[in-house]
Amino acid sequence: MAKLRLDKYKPVVALGVFLVAWWLVPIGVKAFLKASFSEFQAPAWVASSYLDDLEGFWARRMHSKRELELAGQEIARAKSYYQFNAQRAETLQAEIRRLEAILDLPSRREYRYEVARVIRRDLSAWWQYLVLRKGRDYDIPEGAAVVFSGGVVGRVVEVNAFTSRVELITSPDFRMAAQFEGDPRPVVYQGVPQSGFGDPVGRVSDAPQDLVANSNNPLKLVSTHLGGTFPPGLAIGEVVWLEPGSTGIFQAGAVALDADLLSLHEVAVLIPLNPIEIESDVP
Amino acid sequence: MFLDPRALIMFGANALLLYLAQLVNSATAAWPLYFFILGPMIVLPALYLRHQSYFICTLLTGLWVDASLHVPLGFFTVLFLSVGAAIFSVRIRFRAEHNYHPILLAHGINLFLLIVLTVATGHEYFTVASFWIQVLATVLCSHLALLFIAPWFYNLERQLFEICHLETEPEDLPLL
Repeated sequence: MAKLRLDKYKPVVALGVFLVAWWLVPIGVKAFLKASFSEFQAPAWVASSYLDDLEGFWARRMHSKRELELAGQEIARAKSYYQFNAQRAETLQAEIRRLEAILDLPSRREYRYEVARVIRRDLSAWWQYLVLRKGRDYDIPEGAAVVFSGGVVGRVVEVNAFTSRVELITSPDFRMAAQFEGDPRPVVYQGVPQSGFGDPVGRVSDAPQDLVANSNNPLKLVSTHLGGTFPPGLAIGEVVWLEPGSTGIFQAGAVALDADLLSLHEVAVLIPLNPIEIESDVP
Repeated sequence: MFLDPRALIMFGANALLLYLAQLVNSATAAWPLYFFILGPMIVLPALYLRHQSYFICTLLTGLWVDASLHVPLGFFTVLFLSVGAAIFSVRIRFRAEHNYHPILLAHGINLFLLIVLTVATGHEYFTVASFWIQVLATVLCSHLALLFIAPWFYNLERQLFEICHLETEPEDLPLL
């Protein structure tokens, strides 16, 4: 009788033992493992981002004096324009505060803007994430809103020591409360799977029946204070078509998002100055 | 020896491959190109190393990939070890010293991992056409890139063995 070769089952037995052990390992140990491996990889990404900055620095050094002078003039013009706007914004803010005091309105959430460099974009059929070069070292909180000049970028979902991970607004797992500009009724915005071809899109649902959108008169979708994460009025995208939703009571439609979302280099994280304390806020 | 030094070189090469693929993916984020190149990582450890070293190398690679991609910890670790165990059991049938069989295996494993990932994380979007368009574009890009990357990757690993004065041939076959 031929001798039974047990050694050939060794990989399968080892795999079975590993699976049982993995199932028994506490969640805390797994979280620690994941955090350890993530932190171990972060320096490579941070270093490559600094190398990018250095490359940009040397590329700018190659410009002629005349080009730098012209760029300086442009910046000076932009600066005076923004200084004027800042003064106007301050005046309007003071007016708003005065009116709020007269009407005895509840105070709004205030934010600190932490500008962060994007060091990695990971946009695939299965996930849509950005990695930022700031983390716990800049007090970035989990769940914070992330914005750019074109509006909403997404939400911080993971914070490491020197990096943080942002779920992009295009991600199918991303969902937020929104409203159409000039209409206080809330609607729901949700990311959808992207084809990768063409500009990014999202989806709006629960829109009231009386709203009409068309390509000549698109509806602008903006954030609302209802979700608690985003300040009101930030641009999300434009809706050019609304159709009856699955329930027939509300309308739904595609949201055209800013094409720059896919090639961001710098974003701002909104860090609440007075975070909501669940214990103290609940009566 | 408890751990074959080649296991560490293979793990380092796997980490490098993942990092380079992600750098390219980050740079091409605005285009419909996404390179999913995990297939080559587990072929040589399963064909070259003794069981203990293969297991440690594959386990570390799996945990490394899980931490880097947006999947639950253990997803690729378990898949790598499962596929690795299957290859290890029949490794006597493959010619590991040349690139032909490892490249074929890399394509097969890559496609298998793509399918499992799609089924596990994208089952809610099976009815959405744009999801399938991007998945198909990813499959096409990745496997076209693999035609060039896999031979380079295996040659790089063998060259690193040579530079480090390590054995460039697989362990004695048939098993262990």
